[in-house]
Amino acid sequence: MRTLLASPDGTTHLESAAPEQGVVPTIVDLTPAAGWDEREAHDLHGIRFGGHEPLRPLVNHDPALQRWVPVHGDDVYQLAVGPIHAGIIESGHFRFHLVGDRILHLDIQLFHKHRGLERAAEGRTLEEGLAYVARACAACNVANAVAYTSACEQALGLLPGVELRRARTILLELERIWNHLNDIAAICAGVSLAAGNNSFAALTERARRLNAALTGHRFLFESVQLGRNELTLSTEQIALARDELASINTAALRGWRELLFNTSFQDRLPDIGVVSALHAERLGAVGPAARSAGLAQDVRTHSPFLSYAGFAAVVPERAAGDVQARLEQRALELWQSFTILDQQLEHPLRAATSEAGGLEHPIGIGRVESPRGETSCVVEHQGERIERVRLRTGSYANWPLVAYAATDNLLPDFPLINKSFELCYACVDR
Amino acid sequence: MLTLLRDLRRSRKAIALSAPRRGRSLAICHVDAGSCNGCEHELNQLASPYYDLQRYGLNLVASPRHADVLLVTGAVTSRMREPLLIAYAAMPEPRRVVALGDSALGRDLLGSSEEIVGPVEAILPVDLRIPGRPPTPEAILQALLGLIDEVTAPQPHGERRPPGSRSRASHPAARPPAEAGCEVRRPPSSR
Repeated sequence: MRTLLASPDGTTHLESAAPEQGVVPTIVDLTPAAGWDEREAHDLHGIRFGGHEPLRPLVNHDPALQRWVPVHGDDVYQLAVGPIHAGIIESGHFRFHLVGDRILHLDIQLFHKHRGLERAAEGRTLEEGLAYVARACAACNVANAVAYTSACEQALGLLPGVELRRARTILLELERIWNHLNDIAAICAGVSLAAGNNSFAALTERARRLNAALTGHRFLFESVQLGRNELTLSTEQIALARDELASINTAALRGWRELLFNTSFQDRLPDIGVVSALHAERLGAVGPAARSAGLAQDVRTHSPFLSYAGFAAVVPERAAGDVQARLEQRALELWQSFTILDQQLEHPLRAATSEAGGLEHPIGIGRVESPRGETSCVVEHQGERIERVRLRTGSYANWPLVAYAATDNLLPDFPLINKSFELCYACVDR
Repeated sequence: MLTLLRDLRRSRKAIALSAPRRGRSLAICHVDAGSCNGCEHELNQLASPYYDLQRYGLNLVASPRHADVLLVTGAVTSRMREPLLIAYAAMPEPRRVVALGDSALGRDLLGSSEEIVGPVEAILPVDLRIPGRPPTPEAILQALLGLIDEVTAPQPHGERRPPGSRSRASHPAARPPAEAGCEVRRPPSSR
């Protein structure tokens, strides 16, 4: 069994442990962020973790094994929500433990959509494996694909050139823009502010149409390739992209200003779903969720194989780790992404390939900042074939945080708290 | 807020699809049976001012209890099979099942065979198939509007069938709810 420890400063540490009679020592006592990983490794690969007690099932939904965290006290009751929700929401189960409307504890049971993508990719060629990883999630498609291709290229000793880095950076930022616009719309929906929700939903639509105009797909599917870039952008497409992005930027700024001056909206946001910097760090928070709590960490600050020279992580002035801070974080990152794209879209984009010349490794590691935070992909290969692949997305890292943030809040605020993270289920379940 | 509302009014006028002539509606309940989240994002976009599905009489409802249509996304995973059957059993007759997206139609499925049960039609009788990876909001809207016409078209005299007998009684899930063993109870996953 191998454990990848990736630290926010960009360093990685790969630890291998041979199970003794199926047991390896746990690391949850050192980093609680590994809790879900160990539960998953037990359910999918049968590894037991000495010291991780109780090792509750995560992927395994056998009713005989289910153990909700016991919550005792007067008037405590449980509320079961899902897996089917009352709206257009992905499938997952939430078990609230409440007194009145106050949430004492929340158990989150995901993996209803587990498709076994990683297992199905084993034995395929590295080239074929890309489709399996990209299928995990539509919203984080580019981030997951770039994490996988970077891992493969590291394993094969391929070095992406300037044009290839630029292509991937453009795609990653296009993906971030539609996601962040969508997230702002979702938070407005969380407090039933229809005007805000509709405005940012309309901007999301414009961003997706731009994606289709540039790459032929609204979610940028199949625009990332292993070892090469096939996406070309002509002078006309570049001009179209620049105009439309500038126009979306202006409209988003205007919408943002309207939200800032809407007091009844702003009153709903502070001190809801708070995650302190200490707990964000302890629980392994990544992405906007971590930065809005004051942790200035962003994989883009150390991405040598992407075009992020001079990038610095941004945090809000009031980094309180609540819904307001997470909302503001989206806006700050949006303005950053518009600036990055403005720099990257200065001239046409050509097809490119990566060059051989690096060292080959039996294991490749790719780390990418997705719209929801650090996504890492580890690929172990035998020649051309995938031995094992694991994708750990920003959503995967942040779901335990949602449960933590919900504690002590009122149940009617949960949708708002959940929307302020806006995590995917699909790229957790895989 | 006035600025935003003015913008919205303009975008509705500028981009809206042509207004429908239909005086009918459909209540639609969505179930994600194992999608990649693409269909959900496009479905959510249907409520945006560009599409605004409610003006076409299409309503996304919270419960299968008052839905005409079960809109299923994704190939059905082993863990979503039973919740999907329970949602279907909870629907009143007549009911329709729409399989949305290539995965729901079983096209180019990726995943391991232990985890994926199969396309929606392996579990439920499917009345409408909307292909696409994912289908665009326009494609979804147009297909659903076609379903309104099909559902509400008057049957020729003498051919009216009792509800629930639409040539699919042989399908295992087409039995009435009580027989299907799906009376209201919690799915195993929420026990």
